[in-house]
Amino acid sequence: MQRRRCRRVLGAALAGRGLPYAALGGFLAAALVQAGCAILVERFAFDAGAAARRRLRGDAMARLLAAGPAMLRGAHSGALAAVVIDRIEAVDGLFARWLPAAVVAFVVPVAVAAVALALDPIAGLILIGAGLLVPAAMALSGLGAAAAARGQFAAMARLQTRFLDRVSGIATIVLAGRAEAEAQALARAADELRRRTMRVLRVAFLSSAGLDCAAAIALIAIAVRYGGQYAAGTLASLPVALFMVLATPQFFAPLRAFAAAYQERMHAIAAAEALVDLPALPPETPPLEVRTVSAHGITIDFRDVSLSWDATRGKALDGVTFRIPAGQVVILAGPSGSGKTSIIEILLGFVRPDAGRVTFNGADIATLVPQALARLTAWVGQRPVLFAASIAENIRFAKPEASDDEVETAAEAARVVDFAILLPQGLDTVIGEGGYGLSGGQAQRIAIARAFLKDAPILLLDEPTAHLDPVTEADVLDSLKRLCLGRTTLLASHATAAHAFSARRVDLRGGRVVGTRGTA
Amino acid sequence: MTALRRIFGLWRGRWLALGFGLLVSLAALLVATAMMTLSGAMVVSTGAMVAAPPLMRLLGPARVVLRYFERLATHDAMFRALADVRVWFFRGLARGAAGGIGYRRSADLLARLVNDVDALDGVYLRILIPLAHAAILLPVLLWQIGRGNILLALVAAALFAVAAFYLPYRAALVARSAGMRLGITISALRVAVFDTLHGLREVRAFAAEGRMLALIQSREAALFAAQHEVSGRAAVAQAGALLCGQAMMLAVIVTVSFDPAIAVAAFLAVAAFEPIAGLARAGVLAGHAAASAERVIAAAETPGAGPDPATPVTLPRGSALRFEGVQFRWQADRPDVFDGMTLDVPSGSRVALLGPSGSGKSTLAALALRLAAPQSGRILLGGTDIATLAAGDLRQRITYLSQATHLFDDTIRANLLLARPEAAEEDLWAALEAARIADTVHSLPDGLETWVGEAGARFSGGQGRRLALARTLLSAAPILILDEPCAGLDADTERAFLQTLNETAVGRTVILIAHRLTGVERFDRIWRLSEGRAAAAAG
Repeated sequence: MQRRRCRRVLGAALAGRGLPYAALGGFLAAALVQAGCAILVERFAFDAGAAARRRLRGDAMARLLAAGPAMLRGAHSGALAAVVIDRIEAVDGLFARWLPAAVVAFVVPVAVAAVALALDPIAGLILIGAGLLVPAAMALSGLGAAAAARGQFAAMARLQTRFLDRVSGIATIVLAGRAEAEAQALARAADELRRRTMRVLRVAFLSSAGLDCAAAIALIAIAVRYGGQYAAGTLASLPVALFMVLATPQFFAPLRAFAAAYQERMHAIAAAEALVDLPALPPETPPLEVRTVSAHGITIDFRDVSLSWDATRGKALDGVTFRIPAGQVVILAGPSGSGKTSIIEILLGFVRPDAGRVTFNGADIATLVPQALARLTAWVGQRPVLFAASIAENIRFAKPEASDDEVETAAEAARVVDFAILLPQGLDTVIGEGGYGLSGGQAQRIAIARAFLKDAPILLLDEPTAHLDPVTEADVLDSLKRLCLGRTTLLASHATAAHAFSARRVDLRGGRVVGTRGTA
Repeated sequence: MTALRRIFGLWRGRWLALGFGLLVSLAALLVATAMMTLSGAMVVSTGAMVAAPPLMRLLGPARVVLRYFERLATHDAMFRALADVRVWFFRGLARGAAGGIGYRRSADLLARLVNDVDALDGVYLRILIPLAHAAILLPVLLWQIGRGNILLALVAAALFAVAAFYLPYRAALVARSAGMRLGITISALRVAVFDTLHGLREVRAFAAEGRMLALIQSREAALFAAQHEVSGRAAVAQAGALLCGQAMMLAVIVTVSFDPAIAVAAFLAVAAFEPIAGLARAGVLAGHAAASAERVIAAAETPGAGPDPATPVTLPRGSALRFEGVQFRWQADRPDVFDGMTLDVPSGSRVALLGPSGSGKSTLAALALRLAAPQSGRILLGGTDIATLAAGDLRQRITYLSQATHLFDDTIRANLLLARPEAAEEDLWAALEAARIADTVHSLPDGLETWVGEAGARFSGGQGRRLALARTLLSAAPILILDEPCAGLDADTERAFLQTLNETAVGRTVILIAHRLTGVERFDRIWRLSEGRAAAAAG
């Protein structure tokens, strides 16, 4: 609107009618309105984009959390994080810019063309004709854009995952003297990203060039038309001619924004494809009464359970059957790779068996919602993940509402205090990602402290003392024996830990139960 | 600003590509300006009429082609320069990270590599190039309009300067803190998401989903707040530039109404404002770019322990290790780990180091690898103080299996080759055999090409440990330090491995760090670490 008004002012001024103050005032007002509108559009666009990103990110995280840890066998957590962060940020253009640009790209050129048609039909037709070239150019270039953008995202995800993985193990690389080789590999990955990005941009710029071309054709055609009239002395109105030349860039400006937004849209759609690939949310489990498994005295029963993580690698568990009576300890023994961890991951609900049934007090654990299952179990894993935070905060992760006293008691029972006392800030000493600053045994004791703090009826211990020295191990086993009292406990171990418990023992070989010893 | 200057220093190697991009962009600018001026001249002046149409037919296609190549050339040059920054960043990180990334977070380092380096692309594309355009257009504007009307020329130049220089400068100042927050908040969000996904087992087992989601959402909200402020400031700056353009137009119109002959000024004004239209908005990003440059440089230049001596001594021939009166503590406020420790490890000998956790067994390895330097005393390799050697040379002699040895998200083969890139197929299998994992690898359908997953996630803990062990054994270094190589292995495998170790590493120095011995190992010496010293134990 305001554009039309400023052209009118220009027309009036050029017609030499003196200074039309009203028109000038109108021009100023229109300019201010235009600036204000631009600010508002940006604000609304941001809000729309942010709302969309918030929704998409919440949805993606919900799906990843619902799919659970089994996913980490197939995908690097860094690649998944790249989806949640970068791809969703890239979708912003679709909501923040594509929709507004699409509207403006239609309204403004139509308004300019209408005025042009009224003033000089031929020039108006030139504008419209050139304008129609734009969608054609965009459609042509848009075909390749999505495919190229897909390749670019894949290259970016690879670069990120590679970097994250290499940084996690950077000490291993440096000590092996391979830092320079890795830098070269990173350079190659970065170069591949550049080539893929340029492939996207070559197509995107082609559509810009198409626009430039259409704009140049229109400008030249209009200039030649009026130039010819001027030379022949048939130019009807100089202001109209001036208006046409000045209006041409205005006609194309929104189309230019539209083309840019169109590219962003293709980019965003390619980005969104990875979101579709995320695991679907499982259907809500109907509220069954089995979910209220009595919190005391849980009997665990495995009946003909089979599981394979990867079809080509055969079965991790093959018809496993055993039983842990309520409040008792069962030791799971067997060489590494025999399926001990798979059994524990089933009990934690990380993965569901392919066949067979696992029950708590007769209720199939498949009917338990993950939160209910998590409430029932405490777990000490082989490779506990420690976060970059203080030791106390890492222990408290098991039970955020725990008091300082409870945390300290757990730390004492797991012999965390033994080493923490030597640290400058005790339990408040900050450790690095992955337990930097601690030895393997110390990290393991923090995981044990988490289990103490959690205080759940089922205790799942996966090689809990693998990294401990004999003296510490004996101390921790003492504490664990106390922790086991009255809890249903599964202890996976091939080490001396197993001998400390006089418990029933299930021997595993290659995913099968090959023997049971002791009394239940 | 100094950080940005450092980044420009890194781009020196790319000045040809960057300069070429700038030149093409200037050519495109000149053609576009000439075209707009000519179009105006064709309408309002008879003089240009004869020459103009053929010239226009030339300029039109030239403009389209030049614009296309400008975009290609500037972007390509920029991406090359950014790739250089990324590689420089990794090299810097590696220099200071022989002992790991320490208290830094990998997701934050990733944010610096990805988001902060990306933020630097605006410096060239959206700031430097348009500024160069503005610097050229300003005198053109003054001269072309000044020939007709000096007053209008001054007003136009002033408005142009405000839009091209003052507004971006103001915008950069005002948005500085928000720009800094952009980098920090996206990094914080990345850390929260990565912690949640990397720790998915813990999150699920401790029912922490809700907590972690809430943390992610609050960090996302902080990111959105920073983005919102930047976007708002950018919109205001942009609106200011727009008003400058319209004010210029108004001044032109008013002047033209008195003096129609200078109507060509209107065209020039329109043409001149187009290339600088984005500068005010880009000014907002300048603060972000400067903060990003600082974050990139800070992470790449964190010094590690024990920098290389200025003129490293060449490696001695011998591989005997000797610790001489070593006194060491990790930090000033922590107790001494070693206090006058002396220990001899002759070349080719087999030594066991025993002691409870916390007695300094792993610290001893760190000192030998110069991941840390003793406060007093010396460590000698072949009679030469290792402080005088280049760390890279020293580490060629020693291979170290630590408790934190990392398995990379790659194939088994690639993981093994890290230790010795030129190793032959049979060497790989021999190492796997010695580590007692060859049968498992044989049984896999993809054999050595099997993907191990994140930190070895596709294998059990004990299998992963043995793969790392195989990698260590594959190394050609004459000194092997094995820190708890059998942690997580079952008793039979442990026994078998230790027996193999007796036979395989003949002629190499083996330092075995352990809590206890099983009885099958054959050692020349057994040392027990306690109270900061090493004492010979019976054995």
